[in-house]
Amino acid sequence: MEQFTFTGKQKTFSIVLMVIGVLCMAYTYIAYDGGHHARFWTNFLHNSVFFTGIAFISFYLLCAHTLAYSGWHTLMKRLIESFGMFLPVGAIFFLILWFGTISEWHHLYHWAQEGIATLGHENYDRIIAGKSPLLNKSMYLILTVGLILFWSLFVMKIRSLSKAADRGDNDLATYKSTKFWMAIFMPVGAFTSAFFIWLSVMSIDAHWYSTMFAWYTSASWLVSACALLALFVIYLNGQGYLKELNQTHRHDLGKYIFAFSVFWTYVWFDQFMLIWYANVGEETIYFNTRLNTFKILFFLNLGINFLLPFFILMRNSTKWKIGSLGFVAIMVFFGHWLDFFMMIKPGIYTTMDVHGHGHGDHGHGELISEAGHHAAPMIELGWQLPGLLEIGTMLGFLGLFLFVVLTALSRAGLYTKNDPYYEESLHHHS
Amino acid sequence: MKTEKEVLFGLYNDEVDLMKAIKVAKDDHLEIMDVYTPFPVHGLDDVMGLSESRLHIAGFIFGALGTLTALGVMSWVFTRDWPIIFGGKPYFSLPAFIPITFELTVLFASIGMVVTFYTICGLGPGVVNPILDTRITDDKFCLAFETDGLNTSEVDNLKRFFNTTAAAEVHTKSISN
Repeated sequence: MEQFTFTGKQKTFSIVLMVIGVLCMAYTYIAYDGGHHARFWTNFLHNSVFFTGIAFISFYLLCAHTLAYSGWHTLMKRLIESFGMFLPVGAIFFLILWFGTISEWHHLYHWAQEGIATLGHENYDRIIAGKSPLLNKSMYLILTVGLILFWSLFVMKIRSLSKAADRGDNDLATYKSTKFWMAIFMPVGAFTSAFFIWLSVMSIDAHWYSTMFAWYTSASWLVSACALLALFVIYLNGQGYLKELNQTHRHDLGKYIFAFSVFWTYVWFDQFMLIWYANVGEETIYFNTRLNTFKILFFLNLGINFLLPFFILMRNSTKWKIGSLGFVAIMVFFGHWLDFFMMIKPGIYTTMDVHGHGHGDHGHGELISEAGHHAAPMIELGWQLPGLLEIGTMLGFLGLFLFVVLTALSRAGLYTKNDPYYEESLHHHS
Repeated sequence: MKTEKEVLFGLYNDEVDLMKAIKVAKDDHLEIMDVYTPFPVHGLDDVMGLSESRLHIAGFIFGALGTLTALGVMSWVFTRDWPIIFGGKPYFSLPAFIPITFELTVLFASIGMVVTFYTICGLGPGVVNPILDTRITDDKFCLAFETDGLNTSEVDNLKRFFNTTAAAEVHTKSISN
């Protein structure tokens, strides 16, 4: 089959997921109003960052492959392009988050508080005032929504060139032009993605910073993007599409999941160890919260994102067998979703009154002491561990992601036959 | 004590001919001694029916040995033999041990695998390996059969095989075992 058809059944499935997501988000919004609906907004930010990042990094991976004269990925080119088509949708989510920031719908960002950079104001914070040229509401709009739209331009350009190549218009010129735009995108995308992640995630803990943070989140996106790609390949194969994608292609995807999992661990551990070793109070507070209040997730994160994929995917055969590859792909996808959960939730949980008794007035700025934390239960779903509402919200976003990707996939042929490396991909041998 | 063996080998001009010849040899149940190529030919091991290398199992064992050595020695030294406090950290501080553990794992695995590989292949300093034809390191692809213990009709059969599979040259050579 040369053309993917987005069947009614698949549409229904993704719409059902979206409905579940919307219901869960609505329930979270209504039932948990602590800290300006903090549970809802953190879930919203969490999934927006996660799925936008996957879209971005997949496209980035495509550029890296093409520029490195790689051939094996060519059969998956359309699929990866379709992943990138989620970027404009991500821009909408960040536009909502930005509106939330300026209209005070949420208090996710400490730096967005009124008067935080005004000397003499009761909210004045010397450290944040020093960072205010970067951490302010207009920069947030530029560096999240603006950047995503900027990246989307490249995605659209590459996609239209790839479609032009399908029609056979001037093959070589199209190919060269593709490489030209990709070569611009690679450095630009790499550096700007750091700003995106600083503004959207790292600035939740506005006093804290880590120079490794951008790497670390990109590594997390990379693993989840490869995992999702592997799952799509397995699914499409099962549906009778892209039969030419075989064991050897899956083997390479398995290698990627394995290798990027190790890379993620390397960056994760480096960030942890340097802070642990230096033992500077303003840095260790980040891990202090995670190690003490979020103990289960902290170690679970390491287990399912490093130990299990490392040992399961170590052998050759487990990298290409559908069962083991699929299992690990689902596991690390969920695992890196949890990793983002760990980046976002603790900062809000420890600094805001998320239970809604004090209406968030003593809010941001100082850590709520453990004793004063009004007898919170030992493990709190939605904060220390994702509850069903978090899972439901994730399924909703996943449904939307599937809908966008499959729609984009059905709008163009599955095979990029005029790509110079098409033939190489058919005879891939690893 | 030196033993010699007779080898009959054909040289092919490119790997496509070679692959076809190997397939024919496999179909005719001829016992191939070995195949020599100037560069790694993709799919050759599948056609020859070679089983997967077990070198990586050795690699895993050496790696695990490295992990245990590093963790064992550091734990013993810093908690029992010569405890020193570094930067106010406890004697047994696992995060500080991880980088060295990682390095030693890689070191043991890589050196162990090299030594294993050289031992299995009979390579090493001072070892002279017989070579059938010097051009197999340049542009010729060689398929070799051992002819010791074969009768004349079987050897003729092998020669016919080389003729039918478009071998550019056929030679015999006796090499030391």
